[in-house]
Amino acid sequence: MVVLAKAGDTAASLSRRYLGDEAKAWLIEDYNGTATFTPGREVVIPKRPWNPSGVESRGYQLVPILCYHNLGPQTRGRLLLAASVFEEQMRYLKREGFHVITLRQFLDFVALRQQLPRKTVVLTFDDGWKSFKEYAYPILKELGYPATLFIYTDFIGARIALSWPELKDLAQEGFDIQAHSKSHDDMRRKTNESDEEYGRRMQAELVQPLAVFQQRVGQPAKILAYPYGSHNEEVVKRVREAGYIAALDVRRQGNPSFTPPLTIHRAQIYSEMSMEEFVRNLTVFNEEAIR
Amino acid sequence: MIAGRRGRSFLAAALALLLGACAAGTPPPSPAPTPPPAAAAPAAPAAPPPAASPTPAAPAPPSPRQQLAAGHVNRARQLEGSGDLRQALDEWKIALTIDPADRAAQAGRRQLEARMDRSISERLGQGRDAIGKGDHLEARRHFLAVLAMDPANQAAFSALQNDVKEIRFVPHTVKAGETLATIAERYYGDRVRSEVIWETNQLPPNPRLSAGMVLKIPEIPGVPFVLPELRPKPPEPVARPDAPAPDTTRPSEVVEINPLLVGARESLEKGEYQVALADVDRVLAGNTQNPDAAELKKVILYGLGKSQLGQRKYEESVRTLLQLTRLAPGYQDSPTLLKQARERAAQQHYAQGLQLYREEKLEDAITQWKAVLEYEPEHANAKKNIEQAERLLKSLQQRQQPKKP
Repeated sequence: MVVLAKAGDTAASLSRRYLGDEAKAWLIEDYNGTATFTPGREVVIPKRPWNPSGVESRGYQLVPILCYHNLGPQTRGRLLLAASVFEEQMRYLKREGFHVITLRQFLDFVALRQQLPRKTVVLTFDDGWKSFKEYAYPILKELGYPATLFIYTDFIGARIALSWPELKDLAQEGFDIQAHSKSHDDMRRKTNESDEEYGRRMQAELVQPLAVFQQRVGQPAKILAYPYGSHNEEVVKRVREAGYIAALDVRRQGNPSFTPPLTIHRAQIYSEMSMEEFVRNLTVFNEEAIR
Repeated sequence: MIAGRRGRSFLAAALALLLGACAAGTPPPSPAPTPPPAAAAPAAPAAPPPAASPTPAAPAPPSPRQQLAAGHVNRARQLEGSGDLRQALDEWKIALTIDPADRAAQAGRRQLEARMDRSISERLGQGRDAIGKGDHLEARRHFLAVLAMDPANQAAFSALQNDVKEIRFVPHTVKAGETLATIAERYYGDRVRSEVIWETNQLPPNPRLSAGMVLKIPEIPGVPFVLPELRPKPPEPVARPDAPAPDTTRPSEVVEINPLLVGARESLEKGEYQVALADVDRVLAGNTQNPDAAELKKVILYGLGKSQLGQRKYEESVRTLLQLTRLAPGYQDSPTLLKQARERAAQQHYAQGLQLYREEKLEDAITQWKAVLEYEPEHANAKKNIEQAERLLKSLQQRQQPKKP
């Protein structure tokens, strides 16, 4: 559909009027390359998604996935981020019009099943730090941002970790609880580790947690974050065999739709990053002349 | 459908454009859609009363609708010329949405669709051939081109996801003094992208780079990649004493560490030894072989033992230091500390024994002196006192016995 904008029209108002849902405003915004329209301007109203893979002749879409760890009142070390900095980063996403989606929605994109808004980002939190509840939860709730927590099961119950009941509550509130191994050990085969030893270890690290999540959180885990992000072909094969549908590393780059689902990339957000350095991890398009 | 919203008070010409057909396609290239011709969009409030419904009157002048459509037809032709086929197709579709009767647009769309169908099947074939020859970069180019024409093409998508393995990279020969961070800065303008180089080259944690080593520098999607030959030649290095030293304060790469170990180290720094010990034991429970955890545990036990000694918790200090000795005999000055702790623990029990003896609590005094012997088996005074107290106890008991019924 093609319409002429009236005074005061925005992608949101047009979406409400023509698509019956303000949440679809991104379709209008992305197609026309703007969210505000001068009166009389021709506006294309796409009635349905038109580019599930995000590939066009000028390049292709990327979805950044951010990886956080511990939060606290003050920055300490590399992976303990000050709550105020975290809040600033989340408000930046809001202000800049990023769509924060669930990891499942992202996996639909990676399966060519769902087009995503051009400015899309996924939030993940590793390990299961107790600080998530105090410092991340309130701001995520306020902004309506979903997140995935990757839990390594040995950590749970530690003084500084979330407990299983807390994780269950978070899951019931819509936070996504997924696996991060049992012991947080590097999953690559160690030197001199025999087939049998390695098989046993992977059984404990990959397979046993699945039952634990089902039992303690009431939902199966299907997605893995590699401890330390480290993996190789052998690890990927084990992960697939264990039944995981997706796995994430910490290679600092955004993901095109055609990213292999067992090597999805994330960018770790370090406490010492300035706002400018943070923003570098939010690139949503790879410019490349595709001919 | 929507025309009724503001009655006929809004632009008649605009209302004529509210067409139900769907325009599907990729966004038009920048600059965004050209504004409609002025005739089609008079200034809003002063609009003349609505004309009769937009039935094209005569063959004579083109209607606003036709004029609008013509703009899109022109752009469609331009985009076809520049090879942006998908966007061109969108423009044809938009032209037909505005004016379904436009013959030129009908033909243009038909021809372009046929051209794209041919091209898609050709490029899919070329992509598969390239995979067969092991030329992954070439394959990637073809499959991406297919998706640019048909963004939902399952065959191209699946080939890119599953079959295309390689990414473009350039080799980099490490020079003396370079770190992954400085190399990342040089190629990507971003020090933390060192992680990607680290992973691509499967380097060990915190690797030491040596001059002459060759690293693969991968292309990172979305990050401007500056090939070395394209970079401006760096200025000749001039020895400048005031030149800023390279930033070595930041940790360079790697990456994530076991969070419990981080917690344990932090607790250790704050002197919360018991907390640190609990954390490190948790790590070791999961993996007894973890070398970082094993090393850290020694440091914690040493600190804990020493601090207990300072707080006059001599017995606890002995226990802690004995645990350390089992893990690492002769760790630092732990033998000396252990000796001190033993002596003080013995003295403490000995003094308590004397106190209890004076209070005529003979049995309790004996217990204390026996404890002394645990720490110093050859403690002569303790032995002597125990004997004396036991004798006294015996005679007291004998004196009391006759009173029993």
